[in-house]
Amino acid sequence: MSTNSQPDYDKPGDEGEERVKIICLGDSAVGKSKLVERFLMDGYKPQQLSTFALTLFNYKTQIDGKTVSVDFWDTAGQERFNSMHPSYYHQAHACVMVFDCTRKITYKNLPEWLKDLRTYRPEIPCLCAANKIDEDMDTTKKSFAFAKKNNMPFYYVSAANGTNVVRLFKDSIRAALAYKHNSTDFMDEIMKELENFELDPIPSKVKDKEKETEKITQEKS
Amino acid sequence: MADTLQILKCGVRFDPPALVLNYKDRKTGKLRSRSMPLRNFNKNSGIDRIMQELESNPRHSKFIRLMSPAQLQRLLTIVKDKLNGLSLEASIARNNLMDQINPEENLNKVDPEILQRKKLLMDSSFEKKRIKPGDPQFEYNVEVDFDEVAIETSNWDSDNSEIDF
Repeated sequence: MSTNSQPDYDKPGDEGEERVKIICLGDSAVGKSKLVERFLMDGYKPQQLSTFALTLFNYKTQIDGKTVSVDFWDTAGQERFNSMHPSYYHQAHACVMVFDCTRKITYKNLPEWLKDLRTYRPEIPCLCAANKIDEDMDTTKKSFAFAKKNNMPFYYVSAANGTNVVRLFKDSIRAALAYKHNSTDFMDEIMKELENFELDPIPSKVKDKEKETEKITQEKS
Repeated sequence: MADTLQILKCGVRFDPPALVLNYKDRKTGKLRSRSMPLRNFNKNSGIDRIMQELESNPRHSKFIRLMSPAQLQRLLTIVKDKLNGLSLEASIARNNLMDQINPEENLNKVDPEILQRKKLLMDSSFEKKRIKPGDPQFEYNVEVDFDEVAIETSNWDSDNSEIDF
């Protein structure tokens, strides 16, 4: 199926259900589509929006007894142009940012993706996932500073064996709804959890920066 | 049907261009060879299109489906290189480079054919490790907490570029 306009996420869907938009970001070949497909399972036919090079996966679920219609947006190779068309970010409620734990460059490019995201969506919750942990289980013993520094919940995932894929996307839906309802409770909860474990040697410079971020976060909440 | 065939070797012929497969028919135990002419294949042909044509060709598809797409793409690229005047040695060297995943290489910046090739390589590794519905170990929701394990800082954070974060 092919259409040229994107839905209006501020309006309820055809059956009055709430709609949210969740976008995936990250380098070519980190496994963004594979992750969404693993969450939605086999046989799922995505919708192509032909005007913008992107793929849209719709998913309906029940949250607290209410039907929610979730659109997962996937880049369909548009990341090759290093930044996404602004319409990709338009009305997004949450972002899932993915890197490939076997390819360092995909981790090093995350700040660029975050910069692009924050240009258009300064406030939406962003979740960070290290994919392909099945290729290198040692990854799961390592911490990645990027996520913590930017206050992002972090997930070790594998689209191949399914590790934490459902958790990642379910959390992203809860985060998207929480953002849409103007509540920061969900993010606070996750940040509390993340603060419970200490990262090993952090250079003092970084620690200071983190304190600043914490202060800002506290002032906001 | 296709399961009764086992590919033993695959290669190419240059003149006229063709894919050649040696396979074993498990039913009869016989070793056989099959040659698939690459018609209308020239130095400007898109590898992608040729792959699709082979996959949908009623006479060849059952053999093509047994090959890994990454290998098929590699063989077709070698034929195309030859048509472009590259020596076999140079082409193999170039293809070996394309078949490596360099963790420092920015795949957002390579041309689409190379990106596709790398994706096919990663896909075959993905398929090997994939746990599918129907597999005995398959579970839809797999939750694993790694936080309890002693965590060390990734050395990817130890060079200067972390200032950008």
